[in-house]
Amino acid sequence: MASDESGPVVSARGVVKSFGQLRVLDSLTLDIPRGVTYCLLGPNGSGKTTLIRAIVGLLKIDGGDLNVLGMPVSRVQQIYSKIGYMTQHKALYPDLTLQENLEFFAGLYGIGKQEREQRIVELLRMVNLQDLRNRLAGTLSGGMYQRLSLACTLIHEPELLLLDEPTVGVDPRLRQTFWKYFERLTSDGRTVLITTHLMDEAEKCRIVGYMKAGKMTAVGSPDDIKRQAGLKPHLELWLKDPEKDCARLRAEGYEIEILDGVVSLRLESHEQIKSVLEIVSPIDMRLKEPMLEEAFLQLSEAA
Amino acid sequence: MIQVSLRRIGVVALRVVRQLKRDRRTIGLIAFAPIVLMILFGYALSGEMSGVALGLVDCGGHPALRSHLEAIEDFDVLRLGSESDAELLVSEGRLNGAVVLQPDEVRVLLDASSLQISQAILTAAQSGAQKEAANLQKPQENFVITRYLFGYDLEMMDTVGPAIMGLVVFFFTFINAAISFIRERSQGTLEKFMVSPLSRVEMVLGYVLGFSLFTLLQSTTTLLVVTLGFKVPMRGNPLTALTVVLLLGAGALVLGSFLSNFARSEFQVVQFIPLVITPQIVLCGVWWPLQSIPEFIRPISYMLPLTYAGDALRAVMLKGSSLTEIIFPDLLALTVFFLVFFAAATLMLKRQVD
Repeated sequence: MASDESGPVVSARGVVKSFGQLRVLDSLTLDIPRGVTYCLLGPNGSGKTTLIRAIVGLLKIDGGDLNVLGMPVSRVQQIYSKIGYMTQHKALYPDLTLQENLEFFAGLYGIGKQEREQRIVELLRMVNLQDLRNRLAGTLSGGMYQRLSLACTLIHEPELLLLDEPTVGVDPRLRQTFWKYFERLTSDGRTVLITTHLMDEAEKCRIVGYMKAGKMTAVGSPDDIKRQAGLKPHLELWLKDPEKDCARLRAEGYEIEILDGVVSLRLESHEQIKSVLEIVSPIDMRLKEPMLEEAFLQLSEAA
Repeated sequence: MIQVSLRRIGVVALRVVRQLKRDRRTIGLIAFAPIVLMILFGYALSGEMSGVALGLVDCGGHPALRSHLEAIEDFDVLRLGSESDAELLVSEGRLNGAVVLQPDEVRVLLDASSLQISQAILTAAQSGAQKEAANLQKPQENFVITRYLFGYDLEMMDTVGPAIMGLVVFFFTFINAAISFIRERSQGTLEKFMVSPLSRVEMVLGYVLGFSLFTLLQSTTTLLVVTLGFKVPMRGNPLTALTVVLLLGAGALVLGSFLSNFARSEFQVVQFIPLVITPQIVLCGVWWPLQSIPEFIRPISYMLPLTYAGDALRAVMLKGSSLTEIIFPDLLALTVFFLVFFAAATLMLKRQVD
């Protein structure tokens, strides 16, 4: 049952799913290549969770083609040992200790005792819960619970990791640790599909897919997305003689906005900075890169 | 595709045991509940049966004799459908005797093990017969025939004890299982199972195994309370009794799992008690013999697992029946009950939602 090593890990062609009258996935097409972190972004109700649930075979799709690790989704249960799925529920047993929770999930995947112990130690360290292994999971705080849930999802070293909002309630420093771990996983050829509302996290992903009303409206690297949204970097200039300098810049065809005495100028590319400096000599200047968030705001308004 | 791995079943069972072990209140109730129920049903209800329990099978004729017997205050007269019912109940010690009225004769069944009571019944039947004879134009020859059966001379406690064991196990397993499955759903672990190599069959079997260990502990405790504390006899093999209880517990588990699909919260599970537990208590034939339950309700009794478990446990504990003697109908019925609800519970654990 070796999955196709070269093809995409998840490939969807015209996938349709409706709940009654509501079309939640609308001819959705997407490819998730192997060994990347793929971020699924989109407003609430855009179909992100539905898509993940369809990928793991919990929801039956109404139409289209959906393949997971080279297997049609109708037979996805044959490869469940290669999939790690973390729901928004953070499925754990509150009346078991951390160790027992991890042992249980390891047992479901048939991991031997020695290997299991090794992984439990490693994962508890990663989620920074190593000192609490004999605590009952129910006594953990929200963020800790979340971290344990992630550790349980990773226990069988899945090839494809599907994480539905994994970092809610996790503090920034630990989020860094998570992302480092995800990078390590992808460098081993594993694939991580993640949904998040946090733009700074989306920026860390290799590919970002923007979903709206059941469709992928933009897909690409964070830079690609910004370009698709038509967002350009801005150069902010503090000028000695703003009126005169602005007139000269306008004469050269630059778009200019003045706000609180600061001149903001739209760049087509970073190379333009040089030619701007040939026209004016600012007292100070600052380069403002476009934010992914703005790109999505633009895209969702446009769609 | 059904795949079953014993190891995965074991993993689920171990988890269930670990969870139950931590639930101290339930563990405490295991020991405490049978004592309370024995006192409640054994002592409190036994007052009702303080008089002479007399069965009456009326096949026509002898209205004067019948009303004479029914008018005697010391007698609790129970109407029965057939002579064989009466024989069974007398031999089980659940009736002190029975009178069978036939158009041409009157047969009196008596329990040989309690002679005083037998004498009272016989005297009453004969004086009734004299009244009957006075009403007739043609006096008949002595038409009262006496038959002695060998009953057990049991106390109420003895007949109730075995059933208490079944009831306690059924009740706690049912409630615990239903709540466990509700939790699997609400805490999202069920969804996680669905996306793991664990199959539905393995999951339910894991639960059965885990709860069986618990049932074993529970029924052993109850058995000790009932036999040592309340001096109920244990004539058969205790292991046979435990087998019956394990089978009953497995049935309660799959019923709980199945019905958990129709509840949204633990609170709603509790609301199942009047529907699932109460009919079993009332209709299982322990406190009132099955034969005294109106005929149109009796088919329900025969669908309830506690009816068979109670019957089997009484047979093992009081009569010393062996495993082979209780296969039909009791073990068979309990097995069928388990299999039906095992299938139902497994099918309800759907992987896919539409």
